[in-house]
Amino acid sequence: MEVTGSLKRRSPWLARSVSSLAGAAMFVAPLLALVAIWAVVVPLFDINPRVFPSVGSVGTAAMDSIRDGTLPAHVGASLLRVGLGTLIGIVTAVPLGIAMGVSPTVAAFLTPLFRFFSVLAGIAWIPIATLWFGYGFGAIVFVIFNAVFFVVAYNTLLGVKTIPHTLRNAASSLGAGRWALLTEVLLPGALPNIVTGIRTGLGFAWRGLIAAEMIATNVGLGYMLFVARDFYRTEVIVFGMIVIGVLWLLIDRLLLVPLERATIERWGMVRRA
Amino acid sequence: MKTLSLKNLAKTYFDPYAGSHVNAVHDVSLNVEQGEFVSVVGPSGCGKTTILNMIAGFIPYTGGEILLDGKPVREPGPERGVVFQSFALFPWKTVLDNVGFGPKMRGVPKAERDRIAREYLALAGLSHAAHRYPNELSGGMQQRVGVVRALANNPDVLLMDEPFASVDAQTRMTLQEELTRIWQERKPTVLFITHDVSEAVFLANRVVVLSKGRILDQVEVDLPRPRVWDDLVKDDKFKQLSARVLQMVRAA
Ligand SMILES: Nc1ncnc2c1ncn2[C@@H]1O[C@H](COP(=O)(O)OP(=O)(O)O)[C@@H](O)[C@H]1O
Ligand SMILES: [Mg+2]
Repeated sequence: MEVTGSLKRRSPWLARSVSSLAGAAMFVAPLLALVAIWAVVVPLFDINPRVFPSVGSVGTAAMDSIRDGTLPAHVGASLLRVGLGTLIGIVTAVPLGIAMGVSPTVAAFLTPLFRFFSVLAGIAWIPIATLWFGYGFGAIVFVIFNAVFFVVAYNTLLGVKTIPHTLRNAASSLGAGRWALLTEVLLPGALPNIVTGIRTGLGFAWRGLIAAEMIATNVGLGYMLFVARDFYRTEVIVFGMIVIGVLWLLIDRLLLVPLERATIERWGMVRRA
Repeated sequence: MKTLSLKNLAKTYFDPYAGSHVNAVHDVSLNVEQGEFVSVVGPSGCGKTTILNMIAGFIPYTGGEILLDGKPVREPGPERGVVFQSFALFPWKTVLDNVGFGPKMRGVPKAERDRIAREYLALAGLSHAAHRYPNELSGGMQQRVGVVRALANNPDVLLMDEPFASVDAQTRMTLQEELTRIWQERKPTVLFITHDVSEAVFLANRVVVLSKGRILDQVEVDLPRPRVWDDLVKDDKFKQLSARVLQMVRAA
């Protein structure tokens, strides 16, 4: 604490990298411990590879899937679906959320509906999505879209409602028209909640993606797990699970958390979830 | 001359919870001439904020009229600048961009509005804070930004609703002195609302005493400028005027 304190004063950048390095170490240590236990336990009890793979076989499966190009194909397909579904979700949800937020009557009417669909978002839509879009890309993107849309719209609505009215008054008495009010006040004012919504929605979407891919397609991380099961390839299943977890952590830490830092923390706004 | 004039202004609120009407403002008539500094003083609940919000165009009035330069006002507009008690700075904009907001809304190009904003920040002694965000400033500094943000838009009239009520007493005196200095330099038309009698007298050319939604009386303040607290606390005329206004407010 002492060290970070004095570092902070002299070199904030250095202090931040030291503390984030320490944070990363704290984060990785328990995972490494888990791998170590795994490496000891599997040979010790001579566990059947059909039940649980050894560390080495998972490593081999990883190398193989990278070398033969199956992993990049699965990851690419999954990321494309998540990216597209999320993008469509955000682009449609934010304007709707703002429109709802500026009109108290519309907001009051739609809020319970959006709460309901936020809870339902994602996996529960898979069966009906396959009926509407058939098995494949469309159904999966729809599930992702759905997971993101309701949560982001609801959070945007919440964000707009919590903007102090004096800020709107200040803007309009400085000459802001309707459009400027939207871009200069409502959108940035709601941004902390929008980011929270995106983070939550993407969490739903990621889980929804894996589930949907097990059912509705022939490529993607979920599919990779599901097919490996048919051949008792536990090492492929475990490797896939690791990839899914690591990808999510990367998306969250490298995309969403920095976005939050750049906006909410910089502006000193508390997140109102 | 751009005169702000209130003619038989009235406001009746409807309270939906009580299901009854509240007459917050009755028949207020008042002229503020260009370049004048008028304080409106009165006890809490006498309708000060209601009057200011009607002039600003934030709420509709239910009787009489408000004219600026002969034209009726109904909506908010850049010719009426507002300084808020809660500062109302945009947390997501730097100090420079907050002050440059009005010019931006008028379509002034970035380089020019930055120049304008810097000029006004210098006026308030805030040049060093241009690239900070509001949450990084003290309350006193935030309200300095609030004042120059309104001024930078060159309004015909500046409306201020208890702008210094939420800063500490020392800072408040400094801000009051700065405001009189800025007023002398720029001569904006100001309608300043407060419940603090000595603040009203210290700042204004004329003090309007409000009571239960009506104007009770008006007092001319012909104290010399520049005004500083160190001098005025010892000044007999200031003491007399303050005592007179205080008496009216307490009788109100
Ligand atoms: N939105 C409102 N609805 C109903 N009554 C209100 C509303 N705003 C203010 N009032 C009432 O109007 C009167 C004047 O209020 P206000 O203008 O805020 O006074 P001041 O600013 O002098 O303290 C008070 O009695 C207050 O309760
Ligand atoms: Mg008030």
